[in-house]
Amino acid sequence: MDFSFSKKEEKFRSTLRSWLEENLPEGWLEGKNVITKENAEYWDFLRSWQKTLYEGGYAAIAWPEKYGGRNATLMEEIIYQQEMVRANAPQLINYVGIHMVGPTLIQIGTEEQKEKYIEKILTGEEVWCQGYSEPNAGSDLTAIQTSAVKNGDHWVINGQKVWTSFGHVADKCFLLARTSSSTEKKHKGITVFLVDMHQEGVETRPIIQMDGEHDFNEVYLNDAIASDADIIGEVDEGWKVMIALLMHERTGIGGQLFTLEQQFKDLVKMTNEVEEDGKPLIKDPFVRQKMVDLYTRSRGSLLNYYRNLTTTLKRGYPGAEGSMDKLLVSELTKEVFSYAVSLQNHQGVLWKEDALVDTYWQDKFLHSFGMTIGGGTSEVQKNTIAERILGLPKDLGR
Amino acid sequence: MDFSLSEEQEMFRRSIRKFFDQHGQTSIARDVVKGNTTSLDKVTRGLVELGCTGMTVSEEFEGSGLGSLDLVPVFEELGRALLPGTLLETIGFAIPILEKYGTDEQKQKYLPEIAAGTKKMTLAWLEPKKGYNPDSVGVTASAEGESLVINGVKSLIPDGDVVDTYILLVRTMDGKDGAGLSLVLLDREDTGITVRHQKCFDETQRLAEVTFENVRVSKSQVLGAMNQGWDVLQEGLLHLNGALCSLMVGGMDRIVEMTAEYATIRVQFGQPIGRFQAIKHGIVDMKTDLETARSLSYYANWALETDVDDKKAAIYSARAFITEAYIRIASQSIQIHGGIGVTEELDCQLYLKRARYYENYLGSVQQYREKTALALNW
Ligand SMILES: Cc1cc2nc3c(=O)[nH]c(=O)nc-3n(C[C@H](O)[C@H](O)[C@H](O)COP(=O)(O)OP(=O)(O)OC[C@H]3O[C@@H](n4cnc5c(N)ncnc54)[C@H](O)[C@@H]3O)c2cc1C
Repeated sequence: MDFSFSKKEEKFRSTLRSWLEENLPEGWLEGKNVITKENAEYWDFLRSWQKTLYEGGYAAIAWPEKYGGRNATLMEEIIYQQEMVRANAPQLINYVGIHMVGPTLIQIGTEEQKEKYIEKILTGEEVWCQGYSEPNAGSDLTAIQTSAVKNGDHWVINGQKVWTSFGHVADKCFLLARTSSSTEKKHKGITVFLVDMHQEGVETRPIIQMDGEHDFNEVYLNDAIASDADIIGEVDEGWKVMIALLMHERTGIGGQLFTLEQQFKDLVKMTNEVEEDGKPLIKDPFVRQKMVDLYTRSRGSLLNYYRNLTTTLKRGYPGAEGSMDKLLVSELTKEVFSYAVSLQNHQGVLWKEDALVDTYWQDKFLHSFGMTIGGGTSEVQKNTIAERILGLPKDLGR
Repeated sequence: MDFSLSEEQEMFRRSIRKFFDQHGQTSIARDVVKGNTTSLDKVTRGLVELGCTGMTVSEEFEGSGLGSLDLVPVFEELGRALLPGTLLETIGFAIPILEKYGTDEQKQKYLPEIAAGTKKMTLAWLEPKKGYNPDSVGVTASAEGESLVINGVKSLIPDGDVVDTYILLVRTMDGKDGAGLSLVLLDREDTGITVRHQKCFDETQRLAEVTFENVRVSKSQVLGAMNQGWDVLQEGLLHLNGALCSLMVGGMDRIVEMTAEYATIRVQFGQPIGRFQAIKHGIVDMKTDLETARSLSYYANWALETDVDDKKAAIYSARAFITEAYIRIASQSIQIHGGIGVTEELDCQLYLKRARYYENYLGSVQQYREKTALALNW
């Protein structure tokens, strides 16, 4: 058992840390988040942050050097996530491009596709979104109805996508469409298209979440056009592409766990600073009990992650344990913010500029509900854990 | 980064597992319930031969000088088999405090025999109708020349009627918050000791109430400094709780395994019950509890071995979480087994009772949470 990092890894960390100190937007490290989501320039700001990352060679460290990456090891990726959380770095606008589409293209894309997309994913010039979910297909993606029909030398796409994160700022979409439906196996007959969002047949409409923010969208496809060259993998074999893509998204959960660790520290600070009837919240015996419980389970989930990471490092590829990490971090994040609001007593209902402490707690509480739904719901994660780790029988209907 | 037990530690686990498989795992505890200790004695001797009792005794005193992490697989396997006895108190408590605070004479007297399996130790702390507050210690030891004279009653002493030596918490001076308490090594052959067996609902455990009447013991039997016993006890409890975490994880592991197995073979409404999500997700909740418990336990024992800053918080918080999780999953396993779950025949009940037995052993969940909060400087 050994929690230390190698010399090479420590070197990587310190180099990245100094790079961040020099390159983060002005005032960022002092906690002055120079720009907020309400600001119209927010998305441009994120694009320029990605450009900065690219110029420093830190946009996509896990990619092969040949494509502009650093061939980073899994441990270096973990360190990268830790340092980004530590510096509270701006959100990565092209998460889908960097962590999902890019590596998949590098693995199974054609030379032409690599030529066309890779560089622009790195620079942030082309932002990607993921077009999977539809009104009638969420947990069960085999139910997608968006269709692509071959017409002469191009494909005509019709249907509707929903919950498309970044859809309103994206230039490209990694889109699932049905290309044939006759087979008994429902996951056959799906094809992945690389679709241009800036075309007449694509219309994006905002969806406002309960926190008042706009992160995701509906995307309507009315005779949208794609060519053969825009297909990744084989026609009708999109499921394999999706699986390949999943294997590349290696450290996102780690990032969420490090974030939770930071958020919990913020909560401890809050309970020290906020007083009720002249006494800091953390001095209340009930608060102490509950806070230790949350502390313990957050530590536990992070330690689970390290244990699973060890397994992945030894085995060479990730397994179903990732579902447990995802389940735990998302459920716990919800609980931590729920408690943060509850702690503020009835003043917890105060919002925005009237918030008792900082509207951050109220906003994050509302925002946290998406975590146990997006990326596969908690119930679906439990099915995976049950079937793939515990060997329980598969659900009926699947 | 490597957060796993070493290959040697896992190998040692496999050999203990095999050894317990050969001796029928929980059937050893079941024999004890029936009053038959033949298999327990045999297995206990076998564990000594495998080196378990001497693992953490220093080489100078005929042990192997290994660390807390090496004990993890041992205690997990003991927990899985629900082995009765005081290996927890002997290995998890007596050895580390003897090593740290014992005089040369005390070490020489006890450690080689503990390693050889010929001395069994237990902890005598609680008193009738009292809690774990240091102020409630009422057993006294008054000085008379080079001796201490002990009077009072201790309750709920594990194996109190069969162990060789009590590590006894006594008051040697007036004081508050632990001041004036001492730990005394008291061999059971000393006269003036009356033992009353206490019935425990975890029938695999043997408990006794012990009355001390003018028991004379040499001052040289005080473990650590006189009147500072509370601090020695706290140090010992860190080790004991580290070991206890592993014991509980071992039990939890077996519960999850047997429940998942049952859910794949029991058929109702034409399908294995494990296909119903109420059952399936229930077992997943048990599994996540188990894995979280295991991670916390490994870390706690690593912290113990390497003496890192967050050692206390790691151990106390693990203890609190795992105690509750053990009860939770033991209870859930009964529900998932249906009618057979509530029978004496199935092991579910044995695990539930053991989980409950540990719940408030040497401190409650609430107390360990508060200790965690203090350790974190909250
Ligand atoms: C913040 C956020 C961002 C998202 N971003 C994107 C994006 O960028 N691109 C994209 O394509 N999608 C995105 N999604 C969509 C997300 O993938 C889906 O919401 C998710 O897969 C669930 O699908 P659904 O909403 O249709 O719910 P449903 O599948 O209808 O589920 C409804 C309820 O039924 C339960 N359920 C469903 N199937 C089972 C089962 N087999 N067993 C037990 N319970 C079951 C679910 O757990 C849930 O509680 C995002 C969602 C969120 C919240």
